Amino acid sequence: MRVGIAEYRTARGPAVLRASGLGSCLAIVLYDPRRALGGMAHTLLPGGRGQDEVSNPVKFADLAIELMLKDLVGMGAERQALVAKMAGGANMFASDFLSLVDGIGVRSAHSAREVLSRLQIPLLGEDIGGNRGRTVEFDLATGHLLVHFARDKTRLCL
Amino acid sequence: MLLDQMPDVQRDALKEVSNIGVGHAATALSKMIGRRIELFVPRVLVTPLADVPACLGGAETLMAGIFLRILGDARGSIMLLFPQASASRLCGILTGCEQELLENQVAVSSLKEVGNILASAYLNALGDLIGKKLLPSVPCFAYDMAGALVDTLLVEVGRKSDLALMVETEFGGEIDSDTSIRGHFFLIPDPETYEAFFSVATGD
Repeated sequence: MRVGIAEYRTARGPAVLRASGLGSCLAIVLYDPRRALGGMAHTLLPGGRGQDEVSNPVKFADLAIELMLKDLVGMGAERQALVAKMAGGANMFASDFLSLVDGIGVRSAHSAREVLSRLQIPLLGEDIGGNRGRTVEFDLATGHLLVHFARDKTRLCL
Repeated sequence: MLLDQMPDVQRDALKEVSNIGVGHAATALSKMIGRRIELFVPRVLVTPLADVPACLGGAETLMAGIFLRILGDARGSIMLLFPQASASRLCGILTGCEQELLENQVAVSSLKEVGNILASAYLNALGDLIGKKLLPSVPCFAYDMAGALVDTLLVEVGRKSDLALMVETEFGGEIDSDTSIRGHFFLIPDPETYEAFFSVATGD
């Protein structure tokens, strides 16, 4: 199942959730291992709290996590059993000159960590930053988050 | 103004403006590499953020991207995307030998310079048309999945909007041959300065 930018999806194992071509975007997954129930959010920006017009809250890392959590609990996930992983947040066009976009991915990851810590959801693994694009696959049967790097054809498993 | 209700007259004006801009850019490229460059009909795309990578030929397609910010009286981004083979050929023409994109600083610098020259030609023409001073930032280069490259564009757009407005023009040289060079030129205005880019349509 494809998860596009500013979207989140929830599903049960053995489904696989996939977000392709992540640059500065962040993929955050929440998972209830006992029920093989989880979700993936594909976010674009760091904190959305305090924005005047939050049209689609899922584009913000913090608000996406809160919405996905609510959805998962509604589907029968046990709040205390939930764990999180995340990947993405690269700086594709590393440059001293573009302070506007510089480090947005890292800021998104920071915002996600903050909200996870506040919600007391343990963050079991992360692969953040760098300057390579990522495609991530979340296997709901196992809870593994597989990170592919297309440019040099390597991958790692969180 | 709501983007999904953009009147046809503004769409047409944007296409025309971009066509003229890319025309100037193509002439500059043509002089640089000594090939005739043709332009395809421009497209004005108004799409949800999630659909942008698909508009660029798929999120996972490897592309060479040159990214510049537009500075001055109106703001936005310019992205030039070249498929891998075209980027290598272009480097070959500019530097004298076909290069592995990532390994070679000369190849990367030559592609950045292409971006700089094309963006400058485009922005000069566009600025004259809309009566604004537009300057390109220093170009940045990356070679990676198209989806990962466009995230950078969407960050600015996404702050204010759930829809992305992009004006795309495809261009190419010797497009029917094995040595064709094809590229895509994208103008992505920042939502705060849409009005400036549209002023050409309303005559303000």
